[in-house]
Amino acid sequence: MSESLACFDSSSGLVAVHTPICMDSLIEQWSLVQRAMLRTVARGFSRDEWAYLAKFLDAHNLDKTIRESFGAPTHHPIGVPLRIYRARGPIAVWLPSNVSLLGPLTLVLLSLTGQRLLLKLGSRNDDLAAAFLDFARNTLGPGVLRSYLEQNVSAESFSRGDAREREMTSVARVRIVFGSDQAALAIHSLPHPVDSIGISFSDRQSEAWLDTRSADDETLKTLLRIFAVYGQAGCTSPKRAVLIGASESERKAVFERLVGLSSSVFNPKPAMNIASDTLMSDQWARALGWRTERTPGNGALLATGDGNLEDFDGIMALKLEARSLEDAFRALPANIQTIGYALANPPDSRWMELLATSSVARFVPIARMHHFSGTWDGEPFWARCFEVMELGS
Amino acid sequence: MNELSRAHIGNCAPYAAIWSGFEGANRLEELPWLHVGVFKQMDFRTTSAGIHHERVLNSSATSGSVASRIALDRASSELQAASSAAILSDFLDETARPLLVLDSSRSLIARGTVSARIAAALSLRPLASDIHFLLAEAENPSSLDWTVLDRLLDSHEELLVYGFTWMLWLALGDCDIPEATLERLSSRRIRFVHSGGWKKLKARTIGPEAFNTQLLSHCGPGSTVTDYYGLVEQVGVIYPLCEAGFRHVPRWANVLVRDAWTLNPLVGETGLLQLMNTLPRGAPYQNVLTEDLGRIEPGTCPCGRSGARFVLEGRVPQAELRGCANV
Repeated sequence: MSESLACFDSSSGLVAVHTPICMDSLIEQWSLVQRAMLRTVARGFSRDEWAYLAKFLDAHNLDKTIRESFGAPTHHPIGVPLRIYRARGPIAVWLPSNVSLLGPLTLVLLSLTGQRLLLKLGSRNDDLAAAFLDFARNTLGPGVLRSYLEQNVSAESFSRGDAREREMTSVARVRIVFGSDQAALAIHSLPHPVDSIGISFSDRQSEAWLDTRSADDETLKTLLRIFAVYGQAGCTSPKRAVLIGASESERKAVFERLVGLSSSVFNPKPAMNIASDTLMSDQWARALGWRTERTPGNGALLATGDGNLEDFDGIMALKLEARSLEDAFRALPANIQTIGYALANPPDSRWMELLATSSVARFVPIARMHHFSGTWDGEPFWARCFEVMELGS
Repeated sequence: MNELSRAHIGNCAPYAAIWSGFEGANRLEELPWLHVGVFKQMDFRTTSAGIHHERVLNSSATSGSVASRIALDRASSELQAASSAAILSDFLDETARPLLVLDSSRSLIARGTVSARIAAALSLRPLASDIHFLLAEAENPSSLDWTVLDRLLDSHEELLVYGFTWMLWLALGDCDIPEATLERLSSRRIRFVHSGGWKKLKARTIGPEAFNTQLLSHCGPGSTVTDYYGLVEQVGVIYPLCEAGFRHVPRWANVLVRDAWTLNPLVGETGLLQLMNTLPRGAPYQNVLTEDLGRIEPGTCPCGRSGARFVLEGRVPQAELRGCANV
């Protein structure tokens, strides 16, 4: 494996990045995996998940993570770099069973650091990170990526509290925990090197905000499709949609259109527990005063109310409310992650002011709510896998 | 049922919000119902003259889940007690014998609430001469007080023993029973009654046959095991398993099986069980769509009991929810 020192033009000047394996070579080899993905779908993946993962492996997309962290690559650096970034060392990642695509996506991004990677998988057999790791190892011919995945990436499944968890925290320089707040706290309190860092991706939720002018059929369908991927089980799924500045009659009209568009989006024969949960959440919502519609086969519940109603939950329940901009910010949950937006006019300074003082981690178009990148939950976790050496002159 | 439904709609606001358009049903499937899960989310209470709410019945929530809350009223409780006794007396004769409960007497002391286990145990009270609690700690089957059991075995030919299925197994099935107690048990008739389901024993791969065989292996001739199905959301109406493997519906109750996706009623096919009865006055739990699977069996039962019967086929399978780690 070839070590690499690459130079980048960052906003503050020239910087260098040292990695044990050339990042460009790794990206090139992920493209080979991407090509193989067109021919088959690995066990455990839905077609949608597989397609998203394949798209994620685009060289352009992976390169974007590096650019966003370090700047544009330069092959003819002039002068001495201001800083050298070097990978911190082994990275340990905790991935619960239901974390789904975030597992393989994190694996791909972290591979670019070239660091030893220790994955703690969920206890179920259908873990997507393990399935994708197997697929990539078996697909690739000899080369840097296959060597890296075989020699430097370990993926093990064991229960919480297993002795291997302590081994992971004792060697890792970076701990990345997907899980509940309690799980993250427990892991970060295990003995770990004093100069290591801990990053937690815990309990978060998201919303979609749109205005009436942008609520055309295409946008509403996008909203429904984005919600349909994970329902309320996804931290990037809109738990509710908020019509900014809309009147009550506009809210009701948009709701009717959402209902009309929904039948083609949701599964008409979902898992029985989903259908049952939809029936439950429908009655819960109606008892609280929400107006509701179930999609065919009880695949999802659409609900609308005046914004003062008590909240309810449902695995596949999407709520539509109308609020003023200020009220929408006031009503944000403390653990807000993403706001997916569809706005006729670009956000103005008032928006920016409100966003800046909120705890929103991502503000992206609705269609990009589920998109994963090197910055997640407002945390530039990929860049934080590197430490900085200042170079004085 | 039409009249009962209207009474609840007229006097329970959240129920009325769900069933505001109800005018009357011509068929069972048209009657207003509630999904069993809403009792975990909201308190339903029907208030009108003559209804005196007394206590709240809490379901036995499994770890991490929320308990159902059922508002009990005086008049319904009397009907429910009579109902349970009538159903069970068809399976257990009315011989006076002590009732031994696998719980702690401390579970009785809970102001304003009653647990599902205590409610189930007390439903057997009419079939017993007196009642005794066997556990020192309510949740610990190994805290069984053998001296109490020995004393009762010495003074009675027959005992009625009630416990949740898993607890009965751990307390008197899969355990080391003292030699002296074993000797006493071997000459006594023990009528075991259990409820609560097999979920916890499934992980130990213990099925009904092994369960019954093990429990009865210690006991004298004429001992029996009765497994019944019931929900706190249908308190008072229980469904013991008959000799032919079916659950029989009493005349003051009824059962539907629905397709989960269309809600169409099914006969002879598996679907969501919906249970109904005419007893509840204090809250609208007279018609409940459960998260259990069942199949209505047409025809006459070989056990000789008449009326509707069904096969209980377990819980709705929990398909994996994909998403983020926080759920």
